Amino acid sequence: MFKDLDPILHSQLRLAVMSILISVKEAEFTFLREKTKSTAGNLSVQIQKLKDAGYIDVLKQFKDNYPQTICKVTKEGVTAFEKYVESLQTYLGK
Amino acid sequence: MNKSEVPMTEKESLELIASMIRRAKEACHDTGVSAIMWGALIAFCSLEKLAELQFGFHLPFDIYLLTIVAVIPQIIIQRRENKLKKAKSWEDDFQQALWLSFGICIFILIFLLNVMLPVWFKSAEEYTAVTGKSFPFQLHEYTASLFLMLYGIPTFITGLTMKFRPMFWGGIICWCASVASMFTPIKADLALLALSAIVAWLIPGIILEKEYRKAKKQLSEQDV
Repeated sequence: MFKDLDPILHSQLRLAVMSILISVKEAEFTFLREKTKSTAGNLSVQIQKLKDAGYIDVLKQFKDNYPQTICKVTKEGVTAFEKYVESLQTYLGK
Repeated sequence: MNKSEVPMTEKESLELIASMIRRAKEACHDTGVSAIMWGALIAFCSLEKLAELQFGFHLPFDIYLLTIVAVIPQIIIQRRENKLKKAKSWEDDFQQALWLSFGICIFILIFLLNVMLPVWFKSAEEYTAVTGKSFPFQLHEYTASLFLMLYGIPTFITGLTMKFRPMFWGGIICWCASVASMFTPIKADLALLALSAIVAWLIPGIILEKEYRKAKKQLSEQDV
């Protein structure tokens, strides 16, 4: 029996963002943009979707008088990511 | 089509996950600058002290005072690295706490020895004056062992947890040198201190710095 893939995670950019955030404690918006090679606008939209799903926390603050957005994965995000990878493995094992 | 909406196969998803995790890990490389600075400084101070004993000259100040002065560039390096870091790895907090605790322990030990040694020297002088013999226990002969024992702790833990073999072996060498220095004269102790600083920090620092440059170059090539 195949498990359904989480539609929030089964999207190129959102999955890329989650994969990065799983590997680090926290990352700045600019770091995510560089690593995923995405545009700021598109990345903002996808980050908002991940935030709405409760998979990531977004902290907006100022650093040296410049606005800074920090993203970190939540417990729900880790669980969802693990489930997603598990589902992928089920599909690939067919 | 928007990048986020491009359909992906299961295999592509796994490849994307692996590539992003690799990119994130590569970006969180240690620069090795602090290790190079402390390794070079401790080696230099120990060798200078050894030269003082060997050739019978004295600087107007204790060369090890440079380690206190070096705290300033260390703070600057740390702040600069934190500022440049756009992502924080899980190990960053642990590493910072570990090396900060080590620094505090070293300064407590220096303070302790500065309190203990003058008292011991006075007692040894009184003993010699009364008995005409030299004091049987030479406390200052064991100070290098205490420092080397402490040097080994964060070096070994860093090597083990970061799976970085040069520091793992560096830590073990510090402990071996600590045991050896209990049985060797002061001049050999200083040579062991210099050797340990080079093996435990300077060489691993240079390796880290090279790896950091390599990773940075690879990342910039990937981003083109």
